[in-house]
Amino acid sequence: MSQAKHGLARAREICEDRAQRVRDLKEEGGTVMGYLCIYPPLEMVTALGMTPYRVFGNMREPVTEADRGLPVAFCPFVRSCLDLGVKKEYEFVDGMVATHACDAMEKAAHVWERMVEHPYFHFIEIPTKVNSRAEAVFKGELLAFKKTLEHFARQEMSSEKLKDAIALHNEQRSLVRDLYELRKPDPPLISGPETLLMLKAAMSLPVGEANALLREVIEEVRTREEGPKAGLPRLLVWGSIVDDVRLMELIEKAGCNVVVDDTCVGSRAYWKDVDVTADPIDGITHHYLADIKCARTFFEVAESEKSPISKDRSSDLDARFGYLKHMVDGWNVDGALVQSVKYCDTHGFDVPDVREYFSSIGVPNIYLEHDYTEGSLAPLRTRVQGFLEMIA
Amino acid sequence: MQASTVAAYFAGVDIGSTMTKVVIVDSEDAMHARVIGPTGAEHRRLANKVMEDALAESGLQFDAIEFVVATGYGRFNVPFADREMTELTCHARGVLSQFPGAKTIIDIGGQDAKGLKLANGKLVDFVMNDKCAAGTGRFLEVIADTFGLRFEDLGEMSMESTQVIPITSTCTVFAQQEVVSRLSEGVQVQDILAGLNDAIADRTTNMVRRLRVEPDVVFTGGVAMNLGVVAALKKKLGQEVLVPAQPLLSGALGAALLGREYVAQKHARNEPVATRERRLIEATFFST
Repeated sequence: MSQAKHGLARAREICEDRAQRVRDLKEEGGTVMGYLCIYPPLEMVTALGMTPYRVFGNMREPVTEADRGLPVAFCPFVRSCLDLGVKKEYEFVDGMVATHACDAMEKAAHVWERMVEHPYFHFIEIPTKVNSRAEAVFKGELLAFKKTLEHFARQEMSSEKLKDAIALHNEQRSLVRDLYELRKPDPPLISGPETLLMLKAAMSLPVGEANALLREVIEEVRTREEGPKAGLPRLLVWGSIVDDVRLMELIEKAGCNVVVDDTCVGSRAYWKDVDVTADPIDGITHHYLADIKCARTFFEVAESEKSPISKDRSSDLDARFGYLKHMVDGWNVDGALVQSVKYCDTHGFDVPDVREYFSSIGVPNIYLEHDYTEGSLAPLRTRVQGFLEMIA
Repeated sequence: MQASTVAAYFAGVDIGSTMTKVVIVDSEDAMHARVIGPTGAEHRRLANKVMEDALAESGLQFDAIEFVVATGYGRFNVPFADREMTELTCHARGVLSQFPGAKTIIDIGGQDAKGLKLANGKLVDFVMNDKCAAGTGRFLEVIADTFGLRFEDLGEMSMESTQVIPITSTCTVFAQQEVVSRLSEGVQVQDILAGLNDAIADRTTNMVRRLRVEPDVVFTGGVAMNLGVVAALKKKLGQEVLVPAQPLLSGALGAALLGREYVAQKHARNEPVATRERRLIEATFFST
């Protein structure tokens, strides 16, 4: 009998075959809800007893099928996800939730529905501005999602169930924040690649099990002898999705510690809890629209504070990127890698501004781009190494 | 040149995609060797060959070399190197030693093109294009092949053009087809070459503008030996472009200088300098 693995070893094991746990769950009669990116409100999925399962791409798998449905000059991550879907890599998924997190996902939604054919598919529209008008629209979208989800699950989503699910997901957010706290010291207690493995594993498990694994990992890295090395440059990684551990490994192997990130398999979904409001949908609505700092949302100086004629450039940058200063100060960051997958318009348009912001708060930074293929990673090694020589 | 026996020597080995370069300097900035050889598929073995040539040229024993820094995309495959550093840092250092006022460096090699931004004698930002052959030396090589010309002759020939035939394809393969169809229309080779120079200058300018180009602008790499491209780049950037006497050697020179500085820093701190055995070991693909 094989020894059951724990902590980071278990996280690594899950990442080697991410669907292992949900396949078992399905044998036991469970329902698995696939989702793209961090915008589908997972609380609503969990509330109905389903297991949310994040869909990723695979850099090692050449895109061969998705190009029948999508243009080639298009987000290579979404192309890869769809390609895997068409190749039945996500066959165990009972349904899919997609959102208008970015235009690529919105445009690919119909194509996905047509080419992959899940029993359930729902697309949620998300406004890009943050104000009460937008919240009203978004709440309507979430109520529509609730209705189709209830119909699919053949059960009602009571306030109690939803509040319980919010509590469980908030617990996960709090545990991830605890994990990130352990990256503040020098040396950080957990490396960038290990953190990514942990979070990918968490996105492959029912929330309760993921929380238990997070606790194990936190305990493990606090007490282990061998961890990241001290005295290396401390980097922040910003940008579009990093779902391949090798990219993180390549960065650290150049001679640095990635101590914090603003990416969507990283910290982005976890900084703030969902407020438990009288109507729990209200808290969820506000959280996903206002609390998640992703380039997809148009953040700006609050309308009440802004001059009617023009905005001040620096307060505008503060309103958009001020949260990064918190990371830079809290995690003692020496430099930022501003990275994006090719054709990511959402992040691409923010690149000049976020670089300006980093420079304005004294953080050296460079821009890295790759096309979500294994071969496109190697050239990044020279850029990262050059950057580290630059800030040495 | 006969080397004195008391001086210390430092070597920089720059393994580019097409050419391998070695520079040996002493503690007084005198260059004792500069050797350029093709990289080829066997670049692990070639590092040894070029190093041997450099030692022969300088009349030095390998033991006399205090420190070796390897750079360039093949930098991981120099078995006798004591340290490896990126071509970004090495180029910046090499160019600054020759042009202290440099603020922008454009380097176009066999397979990549890069722009470096310098401030206060330090590298502060860079852009690189290394996934596409268009706008690099490889692009010119392909075209030289198409015409049956020698790569070295392209620059001078293009200066004899009477008009510039624009090449609109941004892909090397398509540009080659475009060139062939232009030839069949009876267009002069010289005029096509002038168009290609403009195309390279356009691509490069678009890339380095992201860095906000400031003078002095220094142009290095094998393509900087092509007078036509230098002229086209001046025109596109609207400013003077300086080219070192040996534009291929900036990286290797910078590597040698950085090695010297590294050793000096270690000595100043009374720290030991770890070096590899001075032996031209034949690298195999199974050792690291």
